[in-house]
Amino acid sequence: MRGRAGEMLVIGYCWACALLLPGVLCCVLGFLILKGGHTLGLELIFGDTDPIDALLLRRPVFDGLFPAMVGTLSLVVLAVGLAIPVGISAGIYMAEYSRGAVKRCFSLLFDVLAGIPSIVVGLFGFSVAVFIHRHFSENIYPCLLISAVSLAFLVLPYLIRTTQVALEGVSESLRLTAPALGASRFQNIRYVLIPRALPGIISGVILSIGRCAEDTAVIMLTGVVATAGVPHTIFGGYEALPFFVYTVASQYADAQELSRGYGGAIVLLFLCGGLFFIAFGIKRRMMHRAVYRV
Amino acid sequence: MTDPIKIQIRNLSFFYDDFTVLDGISERFRENTISAIVGPSGKGKSTFLMVLNRLWEGMPGARMTGRVEISQKGDFQDIYRAGCSLPELRRLVGMVFQMPNPLPMSVYKNIAFPLKLAGVTNREHIDQRVEKALKRAFLWDEVKDRLQQNAMDLSGGQQQRLCIARALILEPEVLLLDEPTSSLDPRASEVIEALLVELKARCTLLVVSHYQDQVQRIADRVLELSDGRFIQRTTDESKSSHLLSLNCENSK
Repeated sequence: MRGRAGEMLVIGYCWACALLLPGVLCCVLGFLILKGGHTLGLELIFGDTDPIDALLLRRPVFDGLFPAMVGTLSLVVLAVGLAIPVGISAGIYMAEYSRGAVKRCFSLLFDVLAGIPSIVVGLFGFSVAVFIHRHFSENIYPCLLISAVSLAFLVLPYLIRTTQVALEGVSESLRLTAPALGASRFQNIRYVLIPRALPGIISGVILSIGRCAEDTAVIMLTGVVATAGVPHTIFGGYEALPFFVYTVASQYADAQELSRGYGGAIVLLFLCGGLFFIAFGIKRRMMHRAVYRV
Repeated sequence: MTDPIKIQIRNLSFFYDDFTVLDGISERFRENTISAIVGPSGKGKSTFLMVLNRLWEGMPGARMTGRVEISQKGDFQDIYRAGCSLPELRRLVGMVFQMPNPLPMSVYKNIAFPLKLAGVTNREHIDQRVEKALKRAFLWDEVKDRLQQNAMDLSGGQQQRLCIARALILEPEVLLLDEPTSSLDPRASEVIEALLVELKARCTLLVVSHYQDQVQRIADRVLELSDGRFIQRTTDESKSSHLLSLNCENSK
């Protein structure tokens, strides 16, 4: 009887732990919607500019979130676009080619890299921009490109690790199948291991998207500004949603402005959700292609 | 008239770190025969098969000494010689594993996969070879209407025949089968056995098996792997020796 009660207690505790995260998520979403839900609308995004004019870049948006949304999207696409080829290739190297002391050494370095605070990465990006400005080109300042490179550097360890773990998780029997049929090592990786590890690799990409979209410390030092408008070049300043939320939260003048900050946070969450949705769609499409394309 | 020798092994030893798995084996296998390899689990039967297509290479702590030669058009070639192409060797020596291991692709793509690896691109030619391989594996009638279905959705017996068809599409001269029926029901096993006997006319088969009745039905010769060496058995002898080995295994 006591054993049964203990078992029920443990199961109940596990249930409570499993519910904790969705519960917190619901609380955060509920709080944001309660505080900023009423601000959601075209005015929050486009201010008093006509949405069509804003979308076609015919007129600038001064008091809306549109430039920050475009800035965040550009930043995420650029940073993840830079990080994916390097991160996945390094992950493949770690899982399939590195051995012994080299593997241990690289693993340690990637773990150290994963533990570096984002403000330090931002500082490094800022220093690189200053260095380039002084020694190579006076036209280079902290800008969208420097921010994207810094963020790519920040998310690389996640991409490398998730790719490595996903590849190493492929079963031994499946790993030997293609070589037994005459596949070279590269063919085995290309046709069997990567398609099989794709869900894990895409999970790493999704994690990276979230990290790039929400990070504020790195971009604060490497190019984000409060009023830059829609970015027209990767060598210029830009606006970003997390920075908007941060500045509003720290410098708001009245309750209405704070509400707009909450509205900005909701828009940021939707933007991340949209990017995750696209990443899941790509994953499904690639999996389907791997299985059925003749 | 006896068939010519296909595989010639001289003084083969295999080690995992300090553990000796195969201890100075010298053996010959004739063309168009089925050789059954029996013995207790964990004694190196699967390792022996993997030595014949070099699939063990890359396993941590593994090393081997000795010489393994396979006859091609009457000329014996050392498969461990420098410059021996692994993809070509593995097209010559096909392998089917204990557990069915279809790739996460459609039935058609699974069968056509080795041709893709070999660089064959003619679609009509591939279609013909896929159909031929599936017919040889007694699977065509069951899957001809669902070639685009995911291979993982087939039954266990169908998956194993698919794996055999996939190995056969390159028309290997040697086929290694590591307990090919161990995960199948008796009916599916019977189909595979009939298939192996039929394949004997075209290639040399080495089959690891734990099923004595099966060995008696299909094998031309039986080799028991004991203490890293082969002991030649007749198919009748192998029954008692196999039971003995199982008893030894159980008594540990």
